[in-house]
Amino acid sequence: MSDTHPEVHEERILWTELLWAFGVGIFIAASLSMIVFTALTRDINPPSNVERVDPKTLHLSGEFAEQNLGTSVGSDGSVTVRMIATQFMFAPRCIAVPQGRRVTLRFASPDVIHGLLITGTNVNTMVIPGFVAQVHTEFARTGDLLMPCHEYCGLGHSEMYATVQVMSQSDFIPEADGRVSCAKR
Amino acid sequence: MPVEQPSAASDSFEVADEVSETALADVLRVVPLGAGVLAGTMVALLVLGYLAVYLLVFLPRGPVG
Repeated sequence: MSDTHPEVHEERILWTELLWAFGVGIFIAASLSMIVFTALTRDINPPSNVERVDPKTLHLSGEFAEQNLGTSVGSDGSVTVRMIATQFMFAPRCIAVPQGRRVTLRFASPDVIHGLLITGTNVNTMVIPGFVAQVHTEFARTGDLLMPCHEYCGLGHSEMYATVQVMSQSDFIPEADGRVSCAKR
Repeated sequence: MPVEQPSAASDSFEVADEVSETALADVLRVVPLGAGVLAGTMVALLVLGYLAVYLLVFLPRGPVG
């Protein structure tokens, strides 16, 4: 390196590093702002729910007993879906949900770690034995959506999927006990 | 009597480049600019990809939480 102006090189390198750090700082601030903005204005958050459930007695009583699984509409009009993810199926295999209404999805597993996503939506969660996985969402369009298990859970993993039937408001009519089942097609 | 070994300098490929200190300094001065442009372009493409997925796929899929 030339002895005449080494300090010039040092200055240029420092300036370049500062410029890069400034650019990266702007990007980090912008992306964090976007995440906070959408969380506050559009209700888009990472699902976070810490709620314990005993996986050994899941099926015997409580909200995940067989008679309570599926879609139910509360007296206040809230829609809650309860499902069990087990090797190698979801119970029930089909759930009915209304279009354009807030839906609470609750999942539990009695055996191993499962995961699920609903195609075309942002619903994506793991189902860990011992915890209730809960996701809130709103379905924009009617139609049948695929809900596969996306966490390898054993040899039958690829056969583990369910169907989410999104119904229009007029078709989504609860029974007397508040339950809604998939339409026969 | 020691056996004469071939010198590296006798091979034309092994002879050190004849570059003056000034020319070397000139080359080194422009290297950070090129690296900066390359890294900046790649990071910009990455950021654009992230923004495209976030704005065109993630947000239209609706609320979740």
